[in-house]
Amino acid sequence: MKTFVFRNQTIEAFLGDDETTYSGYDDISMVPDDVDRYIWFYQVPVNPDSQQLAQEITSYRDKLGLVLDGVAASKPFIIFSLVNLFPLRLTGDEAAVEEAVADFNRYVVELSGTHAQVKWVDFSEFTSRYDADTLVNWKYFMMSQSLLNPKLRHDFQAWWQRQESEMALQRKKCLVLDLDNTLWGGVLGEDGIDGIQLGGEYPGKAYSYWQHALLQLSRSGVILAVCSKNNEADVLEAWEKNPHMVLRREHFSAMRINWQDKASNISDMATELNIGLDSMVFLDDNPAERELVKQLLPQVEVPDFPDKPYQLMPFFKQLVERYFRIYKVTQEDLDKTQQYRSNILRRAEQSRFVDFDQFLYSLDMQLDVIPADEHNLPRIAQMTQKTNQFNLTTRRYSEADVQQRLDQGWIIYCIRVSDRFGDSGITGTVFLRPVSDEAVHIDTLLLSCRILGKGIEDAFVKTVLNLLRLDGYRRLTAEYIPTAKNGQTAEFYDRLGMECVQQDEQGIKNYAMPISTVFEIKNCYNIRVL
Amino acid sequence: MTIQENVLNIMRETFELNEVSTDLSQKNCEAWDSLHHLMLASELEDAFDIELEPEEIAEMTDFSRVIAMLESKM
Repeated sequence: MKTFVFRNQTIEAFLGDDETTYSGYDDISMVPDDVDRYIWFYQVPVNPDSQQLAQEITSYRDKLGLVLDGVAASKPFIIFSLVNLFPLRLTGDEAAVEEAVADFNRYVVELSGTHAQVKWVDFSEFTSRYDADTLVNWKYFMMSQSLLNPKLRHDFQAWWQRQESEMALQRKKCLVLDLDNTLWGGVLGEDGIDGIQLGGEYPGKAYSYWQHALLQLSRSGVILAVCSKNNEADVLEAWEKNPHMVLRREHFSAMRINWQDKASNISDMATELNIGLDSMVFLDDNPAERELVKQLLPQVEVPDFPDKPYQLMPFFKQLVERYFRIYKVTQEDLDKTQQYRSNILRRAEQSRFVDFDQFLYSLDMQLDVIPADEHNLPRIAQMTQKTNQFNLTTRRYSEADVQQRLDQGWIIYCIRVSDRFGDSGITGTVFLRPVSDEAVHIDTLLLSCRILGKGIEDAFVKTVLNLLRLDGYRRLTAEYIPTAKNGQTAEFYDRLGMECVQQDEQGIKNYAMPISTVFEIKNCYNIRVL
Repeated sequence: MTIQENVLNIMRETFELNEVSTDLSQKNCEAWDSLHHLMLASELEDAFDIELEPEEIAEMTDFSRVIAMLESKM
């Protein structure tokens, strides 16, 4: 295939000269039309003057637009994204260079949506595999005008060949997933709804990341389907009741949860979804099931499945690159980009708040105050083990310890926090030990540091105090035990309005307060008691 | 494999030639242009695990000078 390459550096060593001709350096004056396709492969030049460099990069965008207007719309036009191989941090105004690079890359993605002939190649996917010293070989750059190390040319050629063959492939439409040891760890039928590995510590954590990644894949337009040997009722119940489940019934467009062979199930679903078998990818941890589908349905792609849950995220990346990569964006994608941009604008708008409360209000915070139960108990114990900074007494408890205290009649709440920017999950807890029918003592109060700075601690404690009041408690005691790390909480109970009744030589402070009136809470939080 | 054989193989692959001989030079080989000269240098650096300075690379204009340079490095 005859190819013409627009370039601003020496890249012949990378793209070769077999049927390939090159423009002059950053020269668009001559555009041949006797070729089969065009490639635009510019690199960010070396220029310590970042303002000048930014302007130069911006000019590439205009030149690319001019060239594209001039070539036949029927010929493929492949554009490499720009990567700054030699980012200098000199005066602080280098952001202009990064901005120009990002702007160029956004423009390329847009072009791929508006011009049917344009496909874009994410060059950073190649460069991100190497460190800065490997990417750039200054000796060869000075001799040849090629910033990209010529020693990487064999790697590059292998990568580029794969890109070209993948570009020719059609994007798959549907991912069919097994459940046990594929979407979560363990076997639902044996381990039960709360026994499967999902959420919490590893390995459950790995499956949470995996499910979140798959959710994003489905949002990008890939159809998710389930094919599992299980009791359907068990699975439906797990989807409904396991609080760590990210992917639930509504995320799957088709499902076959039964004891039939998977090949028949997958064919059935292809018919139901009205898609070809050749647009399906099937994932299963069981090699025997994979082999069966490979044998009976050779059109379906059946990649090997990772042995270890921690390999799921790199596996996800491979899946995307092999089967679900986008070289062209759709109008819908462009709309999304538009939404994303308006979000950035909105954020910029919000940085101008004068009043802190107004800012808090704009965050649209949701605070769920939840009594301890079997689902959140492991997380509660974990927080007592790990939280150091906002922790009034720093008492460490195991899961068994927490359960024991619940059995003894302690009142334990945790708090789940989310706002417009996302869900932070369960990030705080309070342990209350009843002293009498009317009096209660705060044994433990802690919040994860990632939610601090928004007054959440205040709202949480006051909500709990109001609940205690409704339950008939009238007196509260508490203590502060200083550690090397919890200095920021030394005055917390004072600010809450409690009276320090005693302080010993180690700095331990004892507090008391009547619970007489309802505590007022700022109205910038949406508080739910579950 | 001797150094000579090794270098000839590298030259054949880098310059994409069917036949190579020990009298190969920049003058009598069209494919041995400035770009391929650098590709040759980078291949030699990797194959013999050496570093060549730009001045040294510039001197390696034919097969025998390449061999002389490599021998001086090892």
